[in-house]
Amino acid sequence: MAIEQKFTDLINADIDGDISEAEKAELQAFLSDNAEGRALHDELAALSDALDGVEQEAPPPYMRHIIMNSVPPTGSKEESPGFLQILFATPALKYAVTFAAGVFLTLSMLSSNQISTRTFDDVTGLVGTVAEPVRTTFAHSVTLSETDIAGTVSLRNAGSLMILDFDLVSADHIEVQADYTDKTIWFNGFAQLESEGTTVSAETGRVRLHMEEGKRRYAVYLQNRGARSTTVSLRFMSDGKVVHQAKLEYSPGH
Amino acid sequence: MSKTDDTKLIERCISGDREAFEALLAEYERPVYNAAYRMLNNRDDARDVTQTVFLKVFQNFGQYDPSRRFFSWIYRITLNESINWLGKANRLEPLAFEAVDEGKGPEQELESARVSATVQAALMTINTDYRTVVILKHFLGCSYVEISEILELPEKTVKSRLYTARQQLKDELTDLGLWQ
Repeated sequence: MAIEQKFTDLINADIDGDISEAEKAELQAFLSDNAEGRALHDELAALSDALDGVEQEAPPPYMRHIIMNSVPPTGSKEESPGFLQILFATPALKYAVTFAAGVFLTLSMLSSNQISTRTFDDVTGLVGTVAEPVRTTFAHSVTLSETDIAGTVSLRNAGSLMILDFDLVSADHIEVQADYTDKTIWFNGFAQLESEGTTVSAETGRVRLHMEEGKRRYAVYLQNRGARSTTVSLRFMSDGKVVHQAKLEYSPGH
Repeated sequence: MSKTDDTKLIERCISGDREAFEALLAEYERPVYNAAYRMLNNRDDARDVTQTVFLKVFQNFGQYDPSRRFFSWIYRITLNESINWLGKANRLEPLAFEAVDEGKGPEQELESARVSATVQAALMTINTDYRTVVILKHFLGCSYVEISEILELPEKTVKSRLYTARQQLKDELTDLGLWQ
């Protein structure tokens, strides 16, 4: 026999602790006399416990950095008004200063007789900055030629961004560990080119990559805000054994 | 975090204080990511949705109504983004269940992972309207009133959806063998 909707609702309300004393008494009277109702109560309570007991997933450790980096910089905090702003904020002073400036300008032009008749075709002075594509500067590269893994890893920089390019072929699953001792450097992103099969995880001072066998090309982006000299130590491991070690050096100006 | 704390942080965010935004991010990164993950059943998609949510929050602070609680605003954005994402994914391919990472570990961890994966599998079988209320209630710990505020639905509808969702989940979990 189906349970009346009213009692199903009361069972749910009881599980959520959202039930009045009178409703609770009514539910208990119903349950004491209804085995099906008791079974439903037990099942829903167990379901609720199971749902509440599911552990939360930890977000990827690098996600916060990526989000912060994707947020555009906003206007800086309000600056204190300058001298002219203070001057022009007072109406009487504003008119007086404007009048004085007008008189001064007129006298200057009349006396110098140098009013320009040149056409306004020279726009070079109007150009502020011209956007250019991001240019990277090569810093260092290493070549690997091992039985398990071969290829190159190079380091480029673009302003404060350091880019580690991996172009590798491996015979088996390889774990790559990139360590940088400068704690102000942080992982800023990861990209795979032409292939998948590489996963990344990051923590302070270290990026770990797990690449499957085959040809893999990928890049790791690091933020080096101070553009400081640094060394990235690379360890390539297969089955827990180090098969190759290398260092990539970066120093500004090189 | 209290409503007052959130409001202060948001005021600072609007004035361009990135540290305040980072504090909000630290506070809400985990629940937003978890809500997206439970909606989408895919960690990469959950990460992308979380990034989109925070970017939208940052770009739309001006539209935030301070009379409402911040979490109700950000959770609503999260659920809407997740539903949009599901719409895109469904046009491309059916949802796939992620394999449980059953790495070496104590039995309890394995059991916990098994329950989590089974619950997640069951969650993915129910309608998104029902899934949202379950996520808000059981994974984000919202009350009926809060869910009602987030989804802009009457409290009665929230309860009705939650009860139906539980019934469907119970049946599904029985079929999946979580219970005898």
